[in-house]
Amino acid sequence: MFLRWLEATILDFGDEMHKVYMWIWSSGDLGLRLLWHILHLILSTWYFIIGLMGSVESFLISSGLFKRYRDLDISKVQYLAVAIDSDEALQTLKVLELLRWLEAIGLRKVCLYDTAGVLKKSKEALTLLLKNERMSSETASDPLVEEKCLSLEVISFSDGKQAVAKAADVLLKKHYLSSNTEKPKLTESDMTDALGAIGYREPDPDLMLIYGPARCHMGFPAWRIRYTEILHMGPLKSMKIGALIKAIHRYTMVHQNYGT
Amino acid sequence: MKNIPPILETPKPLHFPDLAAMAAFSLPLHSSFTPSPFKPQLFRHLQRLKLAPHARPPVLSCGSNAAAVTGPTGNEVVVNGIPPDYYADGGSVQLPPSLQRELMPNHVAVIMDGNRRWAGSRNFPIVFGYEAGFRAFKRLIELACNWGIGTLTVFAFSSENWCRPKAETDLLMGLFERILRFELEHFMRENIRISLIGDATKLPKQLQSLLVDAVEATQNNSRLHLIVAANYSGRSDVVQACRKIAFKVKDGLIDPNDINEYLVERELETSCTDFPHPDLLIRTSGELRMSNFLLWQLAYTELYFTNALWPDFGESEFLEALCSFQQRQRRYGGNL
Repeated sequence: MFLRWLEATILDFGDEMHKVYMWIWSSGDLGLRLLWHILHLILSTWYFIIGLMGSVESFLISSGLFKRYRDLDISKVQYLAVAIDSDEALQTLKVLELLRWLEAIGLRKVCLYDTAGVLKKSKEALTLLLKNERMSSETASDPLVEEKCLSLEVISFSDGKQAVAKAADVLLKKHYLSSNTEKPKLTESDMTDALGAIGYREPDPDLMLIYGPARCHMGFPAWRIRYTEILHMGPLKSMKIGALIKAIHRYTMVHQNYGT
Repeated sequence: MKNIPPILETPKPLHFPDLAAMAAFSLPLHSSFTPSPFKPQLFRHLQRLKLAPHARPPVLSCGSNAAAVTGPTGNEVVVNGIPPDYYADGGSVQLPPSLQRELMPNHVAVIMDGNRRWAGSRNFPIVFGYEAGFRAFKRLIELACNWGIGTLTVFAFSSENWCRPKAETDLLMGLFERILRFELEHFMRENIRISLIGDATKLPKQLQSLLVDAVEATQNNSRLHLIVAANYSGRSDVVQACRKIAFKVKDGLIDPNDINEYLVERELETSCTDFPHPDLLIRTSGELRMSNFLLWQLAYTELYFTNALWPDFGESEFLEALCSFQQRQRRYGGNL
């Protein structure tokens, strides 16, 4: 709480300090300007250290030094969803690198999502690049190659609320637009079946990782995230494999009671 | 459940993630210190999370009924739906210094999780946990009123909670009845409107009656709209919306070709408020999921997960959540 108060106080004075700096700069006082640059150096060093600590932690985790991260029970993550901000999803190489990491960790079913459908356009390229890398690194006769393939589902905003509206239409035709005057009672299973009938049969993700500036799931299909664990990972360009392993490890340690 | 250290959600003070978060939040200070010709190359990629007053973007809101204006880029953006003159009345809204009026959320949703764990950690009976949770609930309502939050939705009882032991569910139903009986006068005095979402038909008859009376008695109150989700399921909410649409089609009120997501949204139970989409969701007790709460409505809601158990969620925790909300960027499927 103290840190938050300190942060808020510092931010409130931020612009005032900028005005003070401009006054110092225009006043020509070398001593004050030197003090200013010293303060700037201290802050820069602080940020550098923070960044370095993050990189070191990520390196240590990815190098397998920590036993708990080395012995990751990946079987608990049957289906992983990755929601990426549409602007950041344009970084196809970064997305490819993320998929490579997920495949290396041992995940087999991944759902990629972005609001605008950018990932749908690059799905073919991503799948092809992953396949080529796999073929070049594995022997052609390796019978386990197919088992190690990452199964990729790519969806966008239209697969969420719009899909539910289409499913509502299916339910209407099936249950209500008949001569039978009795009004049937719809259930969640009926909706799930209707979504399946229009092509949405994939399971609910166990874990969702969000890459982007905002800590929201950006319209990921609401029907599928009833009990999904949600973790915000920060910007895609700053992604680290250590943070990814840490997030998955955290999920494997969670116990869900599903409301009971 | 194992005691899991926080990693990527809202950090505790002095832990590594919190240092990183604090460093990031302090960037505006760093940037404002730096003259424009000189920016450290190392940090150019970091975004300013808070802009100077003259450069602040319009506040974004999920409220579908909020007014739309043209933003600085010429694109239409949605502005905070609370009318400007609401905050001009300084006597009714008194914010702590660390909060900004123009960045306050319209609608806050809360998953009040952790009552049983709170009691268990103190070797208390479960009833003590729920009683403490009720006191935290009262504190939250008071804060929401004092800080000018228009709508507060609380997840009181999930449809999945019926799987709990009958003694516990009876205890909860009794607690709800007691709250309604003894707090209704307070709600009237504080000008709080109560609405209920969820399938009330499965609640005890007496509780149903009390709820109906409370909703009717407070329907004209306007200071705070308190939406209580009891026996609520996000999926069931969507299903009942589809059912209503089907009835309207059968009655000739809607053309089947007009069924779209906006129609579904209009029939959801949260359409009782002008701001059906929460701006901020707070979940206590360290769980990082929505647990079937407001699934449809939370598409662009800021998610705030805190390790504090619900009975321990007080003014400082709520302030921290609101500060965190005010400092985050918010995107609505488009560019800022």
